[in-house]
Amino acid sequence: MTKTPYVLIVEDDEWLAEQHARTLGEAGIRTESVPHALAAIDSVDTNTPDALVLDLLLAGPNAFTLLHELRSHADLAAIPVILCTANAEGIVDEDIQAYGVKQVLDKATMLPHDLVAAVKKVLP
Amino acid sequence: MDRGRFGSQQDGFPAMAGDLSFLVTAAHELKAPLALIRQLALSLETAENLPAGERERMLRQVTLTSERALRLTTDLARSSRLEDGLFELEPLNPRQICEDVAHELSPLYKAKNREIRISARYRPLLVVANRDLLRRIILNFGDNALHYASDASPVELRVQTLDGGSRIRMGVRDFGPAITADVWQRLESHLGKATQPLHARPQSSGLGLYVAGQFATAMQGTIGATRHRDGATFYVDLTASTQMRLL
Repeated sequence: MTKTPYVLIVEDDEWLAEQHARTLGEAGIRTESVPHALAAIDSVDTNTPDALVLDLLLAGPNAFTLLHELRSHADLAAIPVILCTANAEGIVDEDIQAYGVKQVLDKATMLPHDLVAAVKKVLP
Repeated sequence: MDRGRFGSQQDGFPAMAGDLSFLVTAAHELKAPLALIRQLALSLETAENLPAGERERMLRQVTLTSERALRLTTDLARSSRLEDGLFELEPLNPRQICEDVAHELSPLYKAKNREIRISARYRPLLVVANRDLLRRIILNFGDNALHYASDASPVELRVQTLDGGSRIRMGVRDFGPAITADVWQRLESHLGKATQPLHARPQSSGLGLYVAGQFATAMQGTIGATRHRDGATFYVDLTASTQMRLL
C-alpha cells in the first residue's frame, strides 16, 4: 500500500495555511499547519514530514532559525523545504540552497497548482 | 512592567513618503492580504464540487481580508492629509469608541475564532480627540492584536485614567506568546517613529503602528506599548476633557 505523503505547513496567516492545506489535500497530500517556528519544531519532533512548506516571515523566530535547527539534526536535515513567501524577489538562491530549500514560491504570483507541483517534485 | 511612554515628536509623513523603505513596507503590508485574496479567488474559480459551506467560508475570507487591506489604504490616505489639519478635536466617550471598534472588528475576530471585549467604566472621563483618527488608532491596535492573541484568550480594549485624571489611556491588550526581547527592543526604539524592519513583526510590519503614531501626534497624543509575560498592550495616551470638571 502506498503511504500518503505528509507535508508540514508553517504559515502564520491561518487562512493562507488553510488554503495551502485545501490545495494539497485535493491532491491527496496530508497536511498539518502550524503558525510559527517553535510549533514546527515540536511537530517535526513527533511526526517527521516528507516536505515542509515554509513561510519566510514568521512571528517569533523566523524561517531561518527553523532551517538552522533542522539542519543541525542529521535525521531532519534531509527534509525538503519549499519556501512560500511574499518577498521572493529579495531572496538570493545561494543563501538558501544550503538550507535544503528546493524551490521558492512567490505568494503574489503563484497558482494553486504550483504548490502541488512543487511539493510533488520533492516527495520521496 | 510599564516601559513608559514614547516620544511625541515623530517624523512627518511627507518626509517618510520619499523614503524607499517606507514604500517597501507599505507594499509588503498590502501584498499579504492581496496575495491571500488572489489565492482564494483562484481556488473558487477552479474548484469543482466544493461544498456550499466551504465556498461560503472562502467568500467570507475574501470579504474580510479585502476589508482589512482597505482599512490600511484608508489609513495611508488619511495620514497623508494630516498636515491639512482638516479634523476637529472634541470631547469623546472612550468607551463608545471602543464599542464602535469592537463592533467593526467582531466579524473578523469571529471568523478567526477569537473574541474581542471591552474593559472600561460605562461613564469614563471624556477624551479630547478626533473621532475618526482615534477610531483608526484603536482599529490598528485591534487588528495587530488579532495576529498575536492565543485562541483561548480574548483581546481586551481598555480605558484607564492617568495623571490624576488629566490623561486618558486607551489600550488594546492581547494575551498570547510574549514578544521576544530582541523584537521588543526594536519595537520599543522605533514605535510610531518609523516603520519596522520587515522581519520584526511579520503580520504587522509596523506600518499600522507608524500610522497610529502619526494620528496620535496630530491629536497631541502619544502611542506606546507595554510588554507582558503573556502578551502585550498597545496604547494611545490623550488629554482628558475638562468638560466634566467645569460642570
